[in-house]
Amino acid sequence: MNTIKEEFSKELNERTYSTHLSNGLTVYICKKEKQSKKIGMFGTKYGSVHNDFIDITTNERVKVPDGVAHYLEHKLFEQEGANALDLFSKEGISSNAYTSFDHTVYYFETADKFDLGLEMLIKLVRTPYFTKENVEKERGIIGQEISMYDDDPSFSVYFEALKNMYHVNPVNIDIAGTIESISHITKDILYTCYNTFYNLNNMFIVIIGDVDVEDTINKIEEHVKKYTRENRTNEIIKYTLNEPDSIVKDFSEKDMKLSMPLINIGFKEEIALKNDVVKMDILSQIVSEMYLAKNSDFYEKMYNKEMVSDYMYMFYEGAKEYSHLILTTESKCPKKAAEEIKKYVINLKNEKIDEELLEITKKQLLGEFIMKSEDPHNSYRRIIDTILNENDLYYSIELLKNVTVLDVKEFLNKLNEENCTVSIVK
Amino acid sequence: MGKILKYDDNRFKSVYLSYNFTLKIAEEEIAKSVISCFALSKGSKKYRTSKEIEKYLASLYGSNFEVNVEKIGDLFNFEFRIICVNKNYLPNEEDVLSKCIDFLNEIIYFPNINDGKFDNEIFEREKKTVIDYIEKRKDEKIKYAVSRAEELINKGTTAGAFVYGDLEEAKNTSNEDCVRSYMNIINNSLKTVVISGNLTGYDNIEDKIREVFGDNFGDIANEDEIFESINLENVFENKITEVKEEMDTVQAAICVGMKNFKETEEDYYIANMYNAILGTTPSSKLFQNVREKASLAYTARSRYYRFKKTYVIYAGIEKMNYEKAKDIILEQISDMSSGNISDEEFNTAKASILSDLKEYKDSKFAMAKFLYMNYITKMSISLEDMILNFENVTKEDVITYAKNVEVKLIYFLGGEA
Repeated sequence: MNTIKEEFSKELNERTYSTHLSNGLTVYICKKEKQSKKIGMFGTKYGSVHNDFIDITTNERVKVPDGVAHYLEHKLFEQEGANALDLFSKEGISSNAYTSFDHTVYYFETADKFDLGLEMLIKLVRTPYFTKENVEKERGIIGQEISMYDDDPSFSVYFEALKNMYHVNPVNIDIAGTIESISHITKDILYTCYNTFYNLNNMFIVIIGDVDVEDTINKIEEHVKKYTRENRTNEIIKYTLNEPDSIVKDFSEKDMKLSMPLINIGFKEEIALKNDVVKMDILSQIVSEMYLAKNSDFYEKMYNKEMVSDYMYMFYEGAKEYSHLILTTESKCPKKAAEEIKKYVINLKNEKIDEELLEITKKQLLGEFIMKSEDPHNSYRRIIDTILNENDLYYSIELLKNVTVLDVKEFLNKLNEENCTVSIVK
Repeated sequence: MGKILKYDDNRFKSVYLSYNFTLKIAEEEIAKSVISCFALSKGSKKYRTSKEIEKYLASLYGSNFEVNVEKIGDLFNFEFRIICVNKNYLPNEEDVLSKCIDFLNEIIYFPNINDGKFDNEIFEREKKTVIDYIEKRKDEKIKYAVSRAEELINKGTTAGAFVYGDLEEAKNTSNEDCVRSYMNIINNSLKTVVISGNLTGYDNIEDKIREVFGDNFGDIANEDEIFESINLENVFENKITEVKEEMDTVQAAICVGMKNFKETEEDYYIANMYNAILGTTPSSKLFQNVREKASLAYTARSRYYRFKKTYVIYAGIEKMNYEKAKDIILEQISDMSSGNISDEEFNTAKASILSDLKEYKDSKFAMAKFLYMNYITKMSISLEDMILNFENVTKEDVITYAKNVEVKLIYFLGGEA
């Protein structure tokens, strides 16, 4: 019998169960009563930044080309004689996958074929089938995916900001790699990465929906056993180059012939761990609403002066390898606007904090949390963050209720000239 | 009386409330009308500025208000929508929903208009915003390619217009024009309120809505004309139009536009099946042949425009592969009409449509849209019957239908960088 932990959020009226199976796998189930849609996700704590590690099969250190984690995600969908995407779709089950900096997830969504979907998902992830031919075939498709992102202005302005912030951390490289780097990817490299990172103790399954908890856990255990040929339990050793605290440069500009230029202002921060990641996230949302959103004096001034357009907000991204805030907006006069915004944000630490505004903002975010929790995608994002960051599942809501002026002050002190960079795509 | 459409389900925690103005509109009126709706959303008699509006919404537990503009065939729909939390989920059971209904009424019917003009600062700024929206149409390449294909295939009708209107029209709009557009919208539109979500504790919500909006939410004279104007046929040339547009992009885009001239209302289910087999799932002909077999694209899909009985296929490719991609796409279309559809392709498409429909009830937005579409098309069908009708479509139905689908447009964009 597995020990199942139950967690409940009164505010969201949501119950989540979790367990660690004896095979090493972490399982989370968020029960959504009355909901037809069921989502199953199988993920690994392996993403684009993990490109330097000990090959678990040979014990030798290897450096792999940029874009391998993403390429592997594409190719795992290839099963012997069939494409899994196609197999799912034949059953009326939609499926897909994504690769981020620090994890990769495969998932399916269905109203009435959950058991089948679950078995298919586990089989898909546990039985790699890479051949010279099918690896070759994917190069053109991924090449077009890379080209699509090359033409995407919001993606470009974001990546330029990361490049301005990080010297050596691979977070400054596109997740999919480049046309050049993917040309070096072979079937053997894919197997090396798969064998090292797709081990059960590095992996997790997340289920969202109205399912029977115990029954689902038993089925997961059964299917994983059935489809796992080999499961190495050695510790995974990853290398990360020593990233300096400083930024690379404080400004970059790229020409994409846009009618409405985009601005990303980045602040490189200290690495946050566990619940501190959540704290950075919540405070960035609070500060964004208080000082940058449409109800702020600053936004009103900038909008009326035609210095910014539709939106202005800030968000936080943090993991074990990176930590930064990004403020995003668009402007017809990007250089001038970015200068003004940067000055304003850096000076916020000297302003007196309006307590009444803080209270309204907390009320606003609580309402937004409740509304967002209806969306099953929101539930899985919360769970995956918890798995990766090892924070408490519903910590964000507790924290939101208890945020003080001092917390906001402390956060504003992190926004400084030295760690700030501006990226413009025009 | 205006129509109220309601979907109540306590699986939700919040409520989506949308007030729709649906009307027939001339192409040159679009930009003015959009500016007027944007101006309404930025200030009223009571809430003078956008900042005041946003502050008030924040205090209502982050209730989310916006104006949405969309084309429905050759009609336009201006939607004022708000999402808020049901009182049972809030401290002290604060009744935010009732305040949101009052808020919508204030925004729509108590505009800050004096001497026949909107507040000039708001008017000028929103005019700029709409001009920006029109100008930045080209910034997102694949979206732009699809919208250009829509424009080319629906030439001369409202369905072909850009959703924010024409640049010159926007630039030439005066404050007085905008007020006239506003009066036109509130006086000559079909008015529909859709309320969808958790309505526990709101047994008489329809009465409350009628009470708040009062006579403004009444009948209009030209109701039938609006229903009938949803598809105004445009003239097509007797050949395939080929258009190439240069642009400095890494990736090029190819679009193919088609039309079924003999499609009737009853073909709705078959047409959706046609579209799904051709290009909406990973088992579809386009995904399998353009992407998986030929490795030419990452994106290869088709889109169906129900009211115009048209389709747009789009794929992001390398410029040098244009001819190759074109041939493969055209081959898929001709395979559809020659009956070269496998059981697997057919069954997959059906399973995908049915699975989507079964999940409608999980989304208050999907249900709101379903109710509204049901009303605007006078279909009056239940979700269950709709599922049945899809189940009854046969492969022969699709092949017969496919024989009347004609390719009318091939559009190619960019790849010059």
